[in-house]
Amino acid sequence: MTMTSLQETDVLSSVQPITVHVITIGRLASEACAVNMSPWKVCVPGERLCSTEVCKAGSGTYIRHSFIFASLAGYVVKKNEGEELPVISVARETEAQLLPDVNAIVTCKVTSINSRFAKVHILYVGSTPLKNKFRGTIRKEDVRATEKDKVEIYKCFRPGDIVLAKVISLGDVQSNYLLTTAENELGVVVAHSEAGVQMVPISWCEMQCPRTHAKEFRKVARVQPEYLMP
Amino acid sequence: MAGIELLSDQGYRVDGRKPNELRKIQARMGVFSQADGSAYIEQGNTKALAVVYGPHEIRGSRSKSQHDRAIINCQYSMATFSTGERKRRPHGDRKSSEMTLHLKQTFEAAILTQLYPRSQIDIYVQILQADGGNYSACVNAATLAVVDAGIPLRDYVCACSAGFVEDTPLVDLSHLEESAGGTQLSLAVLPKAEHLALIEMDSRLHQDHLESMMDAATQACKDLYAVLDRVVRDHLQEVTTSIGE
Repeated sequence: MTMTSLQETDVLSSVQPITVHVITIGRLASEACAVNMSPWKVCVPGERLCSTEVCKAGSGTYIRHSFIFASLAGYVVKKNEGEELPVISVARETEAQLLPDVNAIVTCKVTSINSRFAKVHILYVGSTPLKNKFRGTIRKEDVRATEKDKVEIYKCFRPGDIVLAKVISLGDVQSNYLLTTAENELGVVVAHSEAGVQMVPISWCEMQCPRTHAKEFRKVARVQPEYLMP
Repeated sequence: MAGIELLSDQGYRVDGRKPNELRKIQARMGVFSQADGSAYIEQGNTKALAVVYGPHEIRGSRSKSQHDRAIINCQYSMATFSTGERKRRPHGDRKSSEMTLHLKQTFEAAILTQLYPRSQIDIYVQILQADGGNYSACVNAATLAVVDAGIPLRDYVCACSAGFVEDTPLVDLSHLEESAGGTQLSLAVLPKAEHLALIEMDSRLHQDHLESMMDAATQACKDLYAVLDRVVRDHLQEVTTSIGE
């Protein structure tokens, strides 16, 4: 019987301070919000942030019954981006997993080629590295915009090349992400020659090995100057 | 009733709790670094561990992929040492497969899957010690792990079990109370909106009693919500101070 009573008090003592604590946090947060003391307001999933008439819903939030709710545990961030309503979003310490989206510029590595398409691993979306790689496909007709029917994949990509590409579709049941390089700014950025040396681009369709001076065909990207390392 | 008195004349249960009292809950988030999200929970003597991976590219057959939302892949397992008698198979038996299905349904209701089309979210839960309320411990642990992983949720999912003895609903059943063979109700709710994510009842109950049992279980889920909320807020605070903001 002593054990039972011990357990009971144990449960009680653990429950009571919790309710008290929650109330104090809630009050402090609302006070801080009211006088705008701290820009960091903690929120948890399912917490109601404000009405859609006051703010626009940003990332980490969702709308239900014309109210904005948090969907992540993190900090409430309000940003005024020149529009009428500020955008409210939830920020986290560590960025959540990003997925390649349609029209996103991705950096990928060619893993295999055949006469119809090149298979790649997507490594970066924009400038954010992905935690785990996604597989994508560059079809022959998506390599360049002109003379699509004369494209030969082996004259455009080789396994191991680093390629800048744009996502055109998330793919269907059979295929994965479909990518395109049909823009001047898209294509191979880093390639190694047969001698194992990094090659330099000499035209939009050729690269040269600085050691052997052998020329190899690639669909070369014209890298924008702002992305080049100083 | 077979010998054992589940509710004493004074209104106390076998382990000394009141009918509407939860067992002691302790929880931790972020227990593994290699997983995207993880959590550990103790509800009395029931201990559960949950890890979450994803969202990532669909593994296995690509035909499972949904073009408009992520699929949720769950696995429920019980450690071989979790029960009184050593288990042969940690997962894959009938009971575990059913539990896996229930977990999947619960989290499909709570996670905003439409944000991640054509991808997959993995939730793995393991019971380290089984002392009743395995489903609820798993759901609560998995909720914390999903929050830790930064996967968008409509709301926390809180789960609790309830029984019915001598016209009184009992919440958060222990193994002893479960094995006495009465009615058992498992309830998972999104407590802010009071949406039901999953409800399951085995054996029979008079219709008149269902409402009181549901009310007791819902209230217990809300009590649980207060505890989980505290854990998440404490964890957030801890992470912030360690980064030094």
